[in-house]
Amino acid sequence: MRIIDKIPSRERCAESGWYAWDLLLEQPMDDAFIRALRPLGGFVYLTMLARPFFKVESTFCFIKGLRGDDFLRVATHDDHRDELARIEAFIEVL
Amino acid sequence: MIYLNQAATTFPKPRCVLDAHAAALSAPPEGQFRSADMRNGNGLDRCRENLGRLLGISAVDRIFFASGATDATNALVYGLPLAEKRVLATQTEHNSVLRPLMNLTDQVGSVDIMPCDALGQVNPADVTRLLSAPSAALFVNHCSNVTGMVQDIPALSEIAHRHSALLVLDASQSAGCLPVDADAWGVDALIFTGHKALFGPQGTGGYYVRPGISLRPFRYGGTGRDSRRLTYDDGDYEYEVGTQNAPGIAALNAGVEYVLEQGVDPIHAKERRLMKALYEELAAIPGITIYGDHARCHGPLLSFNVRELTPSDVAYILSGVYGITVRAGHHCSPLIHDAMGTSERGTVRISVSNMNTEADIEALIAAVREISKSVEAAT
Repeated sequence: MRIIDKIPSRERCAESGWYAWDLLLEQPMDDAFIRALRPLGGFVYLTMLARPFFKVESTFCFIKGLRGDDFLRVATHDDHRDELARIEAFIEVL
Repeated sequence: MIYLNQAATTFPKPRCVLDAHAAALSAPPEGQFRSADMRNGNGLDRCRENLGRLLGISAVDRIFFASGATDATNALVYGLPLAEKRVLATQTEHNSVLRPLMNLTDQVGSVDIMPCDALGQVNPADVTRLLSAPSAALFVNHCSNVTGMVQDIPALSEIAHRHSALLVLDASQSAGCLPVDADAWGVDALIFTGHKALFGPQGTGGYYVRPGISLRPFRYGGTGRDSRRLTYDDGDYEYEVGTQNAPGIAALNAGVEYVLEQGVDPIHAKERRLMKALYEELAAIPGITIYGDHARCHGPLLSFNVRELTPSDVAYILSGVYGITVRAGHHCSPLIHDAMGTSERGTVRISVSNMNTEADIEALIAAVREISKSVEAAT
């Protein structure tokens, strides 16, 4: 999945002081893409919602989004901003 | 969109506020002592008078406009005689108060915190105990923007004055939706913002300082009066310097008039009904933790969390799936979360205004119910 842009998240305060970005994707996220993110950490997938929500969380970063959106949110802890590059590399090969 | 983030800033504004803002921008500018045109009178003084009526202030000439509560607080912290003196602030304070107190170290000697309980209530007995050491001022947040707890200002005022301390009241969250009576309560200084329950635009607000209290100006500049005067050696200061935000204050005045016309008591009663429904319905949903109590927390807001999800997750879902705007995190009031047990991630906050309806609350409850069910199914 190609990442076409990366912008600082509009909801910085909502991420409790972490650094957050919205990654804009080349196409909307489907179920297969979301499930392919599982190796990145603890996986929560609320499929019963009208628009299913997912979150993948590890110690220093998390990813969250809604199925059908063409962007997802990535947040990293202040001291581990290099995690963003790792996540971007992972997504680019999906 | 269903907007339940009124404690951050109110939306929508009453029609009269929009009209007043547009009218002020379209009309010939008010002179503010800089013009020979007297036709439009003085909108700033009209607003002062209305604020006086609303907030129980008779000395309306001691109400000064600022760009908001933060600007107002900085002016007070800078200008009140606090240098090398001890100041107390409650554990419920907003960063608009905490940061000036803790960073303007040339203007404030030291800051000690008056603790609160898990719902945000400050015990007057704790304040009395802390005042065994001399203190110049107590800074008190009238209504917590995290739990909705409203402090007992008459009691705290009596304690402060008995110990020769000033009482500085932050009415940012209460002005316009809860009764405020500064004169009756003996408030020495009061901070207000225009863009919350006063329904004014962002960029408006101000402060009041009781007559007889010296306040060194935070800023100096043009005032349109006595241009030849360059210094204020006699202490006859001027506090509104530079051209004021007249259109913003005109809109703020319309918001204050709206509140006066609706009545604070009916507004408060309506918001209490909405909050009662929120408290009762949320409490019935499995997996929800509410950090408040309708019987004790009288402000128009509450904080909660959903098990297995962070506050920002819940806010993300409410916004993206249901079109409901709330706020998540620490709400710029970091210390109260230590008392609430929510320091790590904060909370989800729902806040209402006179512009919200029962349908808004029903939609929020239905959404949280679905979120809770989906978490249960996924875990």
